Amino acid sequence: MDVSQYLDIFIDETNEHIQALSDNIMALEQEPENKDTINEIFRAAHSLKGMAGTMGFKRMQHLTHDMENVFSEVRNDTVKVDSNLIDILFKCLDAVEGYLETVKATSDEGTEDNAALIKMLNDVLDGNAGGSSDESQAESAAASAASDSSAAGDEVGSDDPNGTNHFLALKLDEDSLGKLRAAVEDEGLKLYGMTVHIQKECLLKAARAFLVFKALEDYGEILVYDPSSQDIEDEKFDLGFSVIFSSESEDTEAIKASVLAVSEIESVDLLPVTVEQYEKAAEAEDTAADTAASAQEEAESAAAPAVADAAPAAPAASASTPAAKKAANKPVTTRTVRVDLEKLDALMNQVSELIIAKNSLVSISSSSENSSSGLDTQSWQSQIEYLERITTNLHESVMKVRMVPIESTVNKFPRMIRDLSRKLGKPMNLVMTGEETELDRTVVDQLGDPLQHLLRNSADHGIESPEERRAAGKPEEGTIFLNAFQEGNNVIIQVGDDGAGINTEKVKAKAVERGIVSADEAENLSQKEIIDFLFMPSFSMAKKVTDISGRGVGLDVVKSNIEALGGNVEVKSTLGAGSTFTVRLPLTLAIIQALMVEIRDEKYAIALGSIQIIEDISIEDIKYVEAKEVVHLRGNVIPIIRLDQLLDFEPLDDEPTNLTVVVVKKGDLQAGLVVDNLIGQQEIVIKSLGKVIDNNKLISGATILGDGEVAMILDVNALM
Amino acid sequence: MAAELETLDEEKIQYIVVMIGSEQYGLDISVVDNIVRMQKITRVPKAPSYYPGVINLRGEVVPVMSARLKMGLEEDEITKDTRIIILRLEAQGLVGILVDEVKEVITLGESEIDRSNQNSNKQDTTYINGIGKSGDSLVSIFEINAIIDEVEV
Repeated sequence: MDVSQYLDIFIDETNEHIQALSDNIMALEQEPENKDTINEIFRAAHSLKGMAGTMGFKRMQHLTHDMENVFSEVRNDTVKVDSNLIDILFKCLDAVEGYLETVKATSDEGTEDNAALIKMLNDVLDGNAGGSSDESQAESAAASAASDSSAAGDEVGSDDPNGTNHFLALKLDEDSLGKLRAAVEDEGLKLYGMTVHIQKECLLKAARAFLVFKALEDYGEILVYDPSSQDIEDEKFDLGFSVIFSSESEDTEAIKASVLAVSEIESVDLLPVTVEQYEKAAEAEDTAADTAASAQEEAESAAAPAVADAAPAAPAASASTPAAKKAANKPVTTRTVRVDLEKLDALMNQVSELIIAKNSLVSISSSSENSSSGLDTQSWQSQIEYLERITTNLHESVMKVRMVPIESTVNKFPRMIRDLSRKLGKPMNLVMTGEETELDRTVVDQLGDPLQHLLRNSADHGIESPEERRAAGKPEEGTIFLNAFQEGNNVIIQVGDDGAGINTEKVKAKAVERGIVSADEAENLSQKEIIDFLFMPSFSMAKKVTDISGRGVGLDVVKSNIEALGGNVEVKSTLGAGSTFTVRLPLTLAIIQALMVEIRDEKYAIALGSIQIIEDISIEDIKYVEAKEVVHLRGNVIPIIRLDQLLDFEPLDDEPTNLTVVVVKKGDLQAGLVVDNLIGQQEIVIKSLGKVIDNNKLISGATILGDGEVAMILDVNALM
Repeated sequence: MAAELETLDEEKIQYIVVMIGSEQYGLDISVVDNIVRMQKITRVPKAPSYYPGVINLRGEVVPVMSARLKMGLEEDEITKDTRIIILRLEAQGLVGILVDEVKEVITLGESEIDRSNQNSNKQDTTYINGIGKSGDSLVSIFEINAIIDEVEV
């Protein structure tokens, strides 16, 4: 079975199982006696082991196998769950994730054995009995390897024509014989012959061979290669290759096991050999070509023709090599989205409707060709409306396909906060809501780092030490929250804590100390302006640099990451009561519904999602608060923004008595945008303005209208 | 100098010669994507003053820069000869440059370009990395990156 095609699925599912394990182990820590959780864990661990085995990732299988053993004991109540065990399990999960990362990058599990972790697991199983676990583990490894090889061996016996112990039939030249003699006579080493058979489905035979050689190098030196090492490197061999190597070790089983540990190795034949054997063979070759073969057992004689067979097969093998090598170089995974079947069905329906609509248009146009009256404008009109409705729905559906819940990104955070809590010695708890909130896949993928920064920030700077918290009359356990929800065309993610809040006086002092502002200027800064300092590059408030935060590469990176996704970050903080970071992200990246407005002779688009209402306001209704224009609307005082002034238009000579005001909202904030004219609602495709004039916060992009004209898209969030 | 005369098969580079104000300038042809006639430029509020705005180039929004304003000359005078040179740059993508007229394509070797005055202190010369001699006229060679990258103070 060729497993490489299942690699994507393997990676996907392994990720899911790791996540499930992580979630459930967290739950287990809370309720060590919950049998459902333990069963859930057991199932996930078992699937993980099974999949790793199927894919031939032996090390990963080994580790998960031992984890499963521990879970099984937990299920049988022979091992008690304590935080020490949970720590070990989390470390194991990290190791499994490490394997997965290596698999993603190279489609192989790598060579890390994680022996220390496996020992820890076995210690747990042995009730911390200590020393003996080492042996029993080594034994079990050897036993499993042995049983593996014997199982594989059986298969080979039935259908592999290559024959075993091919290395005995090697014909060596004087050079190689000299090397063998030197090893035996000068260094007193033992000689071993080995023939390795690689599974038929193996794509990267050269890579496997290389790993075998690497494994052997731990034991000794390889003296003779057949085919030559160059040919093996170029993958010019069939399914087997033979080597003769020298070693101090006499433990053939251990050598065999370490070679078998390389994945996709079918079987290994290993026997001690002597120089004399080969000397005789070489002599015999001089007299008769096949006496050497007949000197061996029957099975080996079959090997000689098999080698001859291998030669014609070589070109074919080498032909497939370039493709295989290419595959090895680039990362093996593609970015995928798992799609709910319902979403795809909706898509399919809409596409069929689209085809019907197209057919109707075709029939109208052909019937109008026949009739002399020209186009039947009414049916045209209705068909176009129909088409419009379909394309809108189609767009929505395609967007939905791209949408994934942020769950996949945020569900690793509880674990992270747990680790931080232990590391910092501050009890804290993460409360998350709205994990099901959906966002574009590309956004979700890039959201992880900034959110992680914010959470670490809360854990490190936000939450106080238990003593301080007690003194302040707060519960000792700090609470960190992450709330996600949708608001109009935006998704809001709030990350915050009930900690100390931002001490603006300290920030101010720091800003003055760093020479960012003068002491006089600092006095006049608003709270928001002071907090904005935190987002400046290399402005860290941590008293000492920890590995959690405090390097000054936190908040500015958060800000730039979020802004790169078309979003923004805001902070609210109350001294002594905690701070909240609000991340606002656009729901979709490409196409939005917008209201087109006119200011003088220029057209602007305002995202429909942020518009609350459109009002006609008489000029007399405008009041002044702090010399700024406001209007009183249904109990709300809304500031008026004159777009013409903001966008540098010449003022009108005579001001109209009635203003058209588009009321937009951002969170709790509202603002009334004064425009000259409303054009109407339209679906627009967002285009970037290009890098050279991107330093423009008011304009979030441009769009091309039906007549080819370009219109700017106003960024409502930046206006307020 | 003598060494330069010996390099007979030196690499020749093609330049598009354009008029900006009363002077001739050369643009390395390898970065030019195409040349389009003047069309409606949509203003971008708050953009640097030497960016009159953006155009719709076959469905792409492309920012257009005024070479005249960038170099501190008086505002562009739109005539029938006005062209927008579309540059394709690795870092910035597509960028248009407004020029008064496109004259011709010339081929210059390194020996025909005088690099000596590029360290002059005059403000204007920072966008130029040499002066080419084509026939009896002089062509200032644009340093593309300097012209696009430099931010107006």
